[in-house]
Amino acid sequence: MNNDAVAVCSGVTRTYQEDSVPVHALRGVDFTFSRGDFVSLTGPSGSGKSTLLNILGGLDRPDSGTVSVDGVALNDLNETQLSDLRLAKMGFVFQSYNLIPVLSAQENVEFIMQLQGVAPAERAERAVATLAALDMADLAHRRPGELSGGQQQRVAIARAIVTDPVLLLADEPSANLDSATTEDLLRLLRRLNEERGVSVLTATHDPMVMKYAHRRVNLRDGAIVEDSAADGV
Amino acid sequence: MVLPLKLLFQLSVRNIFRHKRRNGMLLAAIVVAVGAVVCTSSLIRGFQYDMADAAVANLTGHVKILAPGYLDDPNIGKSFELAETWRPDVADEELAGWAARVRVPAVIMSERGTRGVQFVGIDPAQEHISFIGSVAVEGEHLADASDGRILVGRALAEQLETGAGRRLVIITQGHDGLNRESGFRIAGLYDAEGTGLEKMFVFTGVDTLQKMVGADVYTEISIRLRRDPVLFQLKASLVEFFTGLDVLNWQELEPQAAAMFVFADSAFFIWYFIMMGALVFGLVNTLVTSVMERVRELGMLRALGMRSRGVVAQVVLESSVLMLIGVAIGIATGWLAVLSMGDGIDLTQWAEGIEAFGMRGKLVPVPLADDIVLIGLMSVVLGVVASLYPALRIVRIKPLEALRR
Repeated sequence: MNNDAVAVCSGVTRTYQEDSVPVHALRGVDFTFSRGDFVSLTGPSGSGKSTLLNILGGLDRPDSGTVSVDGVALNDLNETQLSDLRLAKMGFVFQSYNLIPVLSAQENVEFIMQLQGVAPAERAERAVATLAALDMADLAHRRPGELSGGQQQRVAIARAIVTDPVLLLADEPSANLDSATTEDLLRLLRRLNEERGVSVLTATHDPMVMKYAHRRVNLRDGAIVEDSAADGV
Repeated sequence: MVLPLKLLFQLSVRNIFRHKRRNGMLLAAIVVAVGAVVCTSSLIRGFQYDMADAAVANLTGHVKILAPGYLDDPNIGKSFELAETWRPDVADEELAGWAARVRVPAVIMSERGTRGVQFVGIDPAQEHISFIGSVAVEGEHLADASDGRILVGRALAEQLETGAGRRLVIITQGHDGLNRESGFRIAGLYDAEGTGLEKMFVFTGVDTLQKMVGADVYTEISIRLRRDPVLFQLKASLVEFFTGLDVLNWQELEPQAAAMFVFADSAFFIWYFIMMGALVFGLVNTLVTSVMERVRELGMLRALGMRSRGVVAQVVLESSVLMLIGVAIGIATGWLAVLSMGDGIDLTQWAEGIEAFGMRGKLVPVPLADDIVLIGLMSVVLGVVASLYPALRIVRIKPLEALRR
């Protein structure tokens, strides 16, 4: 086993029932994701990239096969243990930002640290520093409704990385952004990957996102058809 | 992991303000329901205590000592002598007073009519414990235990077409079993809370009645307390002292009033659960709507690592905060409504009807602190229970499924 592996999938299958029709989202996927990687899972809609991302994030369970993240076998964990694992080791960036609308940008960034029980002073210090690193310091006290899509996604990224997660999972992070904002965010993710060593795994069919990744894993019909180093920017 | 209560409380409060109109309407419903329950429970308590007080004041007292068999066949033959040294074994601060009486069935006659009555010999100095001690009297009240005049109720006087200063004849059975007949002058006409009492009771000095029946005996001792809790202790000591006599509490003497007293307790709870039950349906409905609108958001919290119990706690807190505010304002509103009733609601226009329930002419609300605390606590508990359904419903949805909605 690769000691530098953050996430390992072995023989993972996942089948959904849609209107009583089985849909094979993953068919025996083997995948290893190393520390410090920036990987884009690509493929057409229905290829299984989001399913793989969700299984790695402990949001979904495989029908068969094994999954481990940072040495922890996810198959053996119950829902509460999975919640704790997500809280401790993972950062999530969702397609539609998914910020808490009643909290300010800074409070959103502090949210996970509050769940982790980090002391208020340290929480505030880390949240402010992270927002500042993403050029969001001036907007720290605005609520999500008062921010643009790009700004909201920056806050979501700040929330995802402020706890120094083992793995940053981003599902279609550019789906609701214009190309200029997407480019900004991708530079930001790349910078975080290179400077802070954040391991980033994205599921996308946006060529611009693929361009910024180091490695591209292409799925089709639930199977990996290509796993190659990306050209990079 | 310990629940981040501060965070959950912050989220709950802000979510309440997020839907101002909807939660404002819900808050108003809670205020109205709790206010109405406080107000009506005070009236129910007023009805209950007035009825009990009327029953106790109606010559009954909290405890009465009678000769065996007197209740079934009340006559002077069922009487007892009273030891000079006797005194109720109760602390002075608990004892409102006691009165020894002679009470016999009698026939009263005027030139215009004849009626059957209860002829009662009293010591006026002891009768501050019964209604006759405080009634308004046209003419004069009895002066003392040896007063040879009579007090007649106004309604009876009207039936007999007589008045203060006039004479009436009373016939009753003597202690020897023979009939006794005496003429009495009317000292005054009394006005009781109901015509039933005025028609039933005729009073004279206890010494006078003892002379008339030919024995220095009593038929009853009535004891009145300042509050009920010492009743059982008192009754036990009286049973021990008055061996051979019947010692009965007011519930045994006035079973109808006692049953109504218990019914009023039940009525309070029935009314509470009807009002709050209706409110809970509204509360659950609003909470389900509110929570299902946020299914994606609550799913996201769990995806980020919040445990299911954290989500449940947040929904429950939201409901509890709303309920606490509503209950506090509702209690204050109910209290103000009670205060606005001042000395009570005048029911004299329905006097004949309410007399059948043993009530008097005015319904004075009695807000009990225990009731209000109970209403407050039960309401908050109901709020928590009502919020559990939507909270548990939301955490049954898996985070991934919630995020896709």
